[in-house]
Amino acid sequence: MNNIYLPNLVTIEDIYEEAPDVRSFRLVFKDPKLRDTFEFKTGQFGLYSAFGLGESTFCIASSPTRKGYIQCTFRKTGRVTGGLAQLSIGDTMGFRGPYGNHFPVDDWKGKNIVFIAGGIGLPPVRSVIWNVLDRREDFGNITIVYGAKTVADLVYKEELRHWEERGDVTLVQTVDPGGQTPDWKGSVGFVPTVLKEAAPKAENSVAVTCGPPIMIKFVLNTLLELGFDEGSVYTTLENRMKCGVGKCGRCNVGDVYVCKEGPVYTAAEIKKMYNDF
Amino acid sequence: MADKILKKEKLGALIESVTGKGGRFVAPTTDAHQVVFKKIKSADEVAGDYILARNSFKEFLFPQTEVVAEFTMGKDSVDMRGVEVHAPQTVVFGARPCEAASLAGMRALFTWDFVDEFYTKREENTVVVTVGCTKGDDACFCTTVNLSPESTEGADVYLREAGDSYTVKVISEKGKKFLEAHAAVFGEGKAKEDALFMPEKIKEVDLAKVSARLKDKGHYDDPVWAKLTRKCIGCGACTFVCPTCRCFDMVDEGTAFEGERRKNWDSCQYDTFTLHASGHNPREHQHQRWRNRFMCKFHFYPEKFSSKGCVGCGRCIRVCPVRLDITEVMVEFSK
Repeated sequence: MNNIYLPNLVTIEDIYEEAPDVRSFRLVFKDPKLRDTFEFKTGQFGLYSAFGLGESTFCIASSPTRKGYIQCTFRKTGRVTGGLAQLSIGDTMGFRGPYGNHFPVDDWKGKNIVFIAGGIGLPPVRSVIWNVLDRREDFGNITIVYGAKTVADLVYKEELRHWEERGDVTLVQTVDPGGQTPDWKGSVGFVPTVLKEAAPKAENSVAVTCGPPIMIKFVLNTLLELGFDEGSVYTTLENRMKCGVGKCGRCNVGDVYVCKEGPVYTAAEIKKMYNDF
Repeated sequence: MADKILKKEKLGALIESVTGKGGRFVAPTTDAHQVVFKKIKSADEVAGDYILARNSFKEFLFPQTEVVAEFTMGKDSVDMRGVEVHAPQTVVFGARPCEAASLAGMRALFTWDFVDEFYTKREENTVVVTVGCTKGDDACFCTTVNLSPESTEGADVYLREAGDSYTVKVISEKGKKFLEAHAAVFGEGKAKEDALFMPEKIKEVDLAKVSARLKDKGHYDDPVWAKLTRKCIGCGACTFVCPTCRCFDMVDEGTAFEGERRKNWDSCQYDTFTLHASGHNPREHQHQRWRNRFMCKFHFYPEKFSSKGCVGCGRCIRVCPVRLDITEVMVEFSK
């Protein structure tokens, strides 16, 4: 019997503390055959299980250009993520996926790319960032605008340092007013405002954004004000899911099932959707 | 093929014929003063006088709870085993034409690219025998959603009450095989069919208009949703008795050492259904959840799966503790 709910087993190969209560797992499939054959596209998601506690949905935060493992990043919030947070290197967990559509990165060759992320919305965007950086010569200017509530809440701190240091990426970091520390050198302000000030040029550009729903809504407006074309602005909706395969009935935004018809949408598609995310 | 009839006195023989071959026989039976679909063993358990069972028969295709996988924690790893679906040969007897019409949508959903064999295998092993209604009540509205006591969508065999017999009409290949397998029980001949109960069509409902209004996103923030559904207490009873509702949760149960993963009925009427980890909830208010349920029935199912999301059985109206009548919302959206 083909059991669509049966996860694959993965081993936690490494754990990274990203921010208070936020951590990343580097995962490898236990089945050596699957380790070699597993493929996914940037933007797809999976369901991760802590056995005995259940499954949670996160994007695959690593890039398909990096083979042999997948990475997920999650915030310790509820029962399942609380259970995952207790796991150690070498422990076993479950993974089902990859599911959903993806960012059409191959269509963006020759274009400038602007990434805008807020808080723990950076993980899905990170998959695209590394996908693009791993073949840097295919793309034009790359700009990353990233913000979090406080300096401590910024995730992937080492990678942020790396992106800042490499000369071929423009990185703008910001924290919400009150979230700065005395030695904070980045901006202070909300992501949509900081994006407006950074004013990346819209011509021949693609934008990718993810963050809290309210941030996404404002960022989409700001991008359109900056002259970005609705069809060239992409976001990923991370709605609650249980099955990931179009059955359980909760991720829908109006008549659109995020797990099957998303999670990646253009601003033009979002505009056509019901105001329900 | 000659006209077939089933003498009511032969029902016991039919049940024995089915259960004797190892099958389960499900029929409306009286339990705690209510008529419900249950697995039965003898003809005297079958309710004779009922409008329709309080529960839909969906639970025999899509159980309230079922194990999809089991796991045991080892010292260094986890042993994870998929569970085979338990799909016994089943006869659902005495279903009403309305509820059988829900199967097309169920199947479309559970086979949408990813095939949920927990559903499909059970459905494939189930023969649905409907009986045209000779009784009804003011909650029945099948005719308003273009069905009737004469509809045969989703049925394998369709029966009509005819005095001390049923007339028998084979609808599907599965139904044909069912009659062949239990040929001794069925007779040949004609019988005068009893009159059907035909619910009056609600004149104020225009399904095309409902669909058109739901398609126009302008209705989304219309205060009419809150107004119409304010009395809803979010108990979710409507979703559990509904033959087309099929939302579920996935949960793990067990100890730190072993356990199972279960697929459990859930309801879009609960506030935690769509609650994000961040605390954000796309359908935070009860009227938004009600709106989702209504749209699922009159927009998503017809548009996405070209099938009925509402079959007019009226169960949700009968079970609702605050008497929130879905047909009143249909009337409003027909304006």
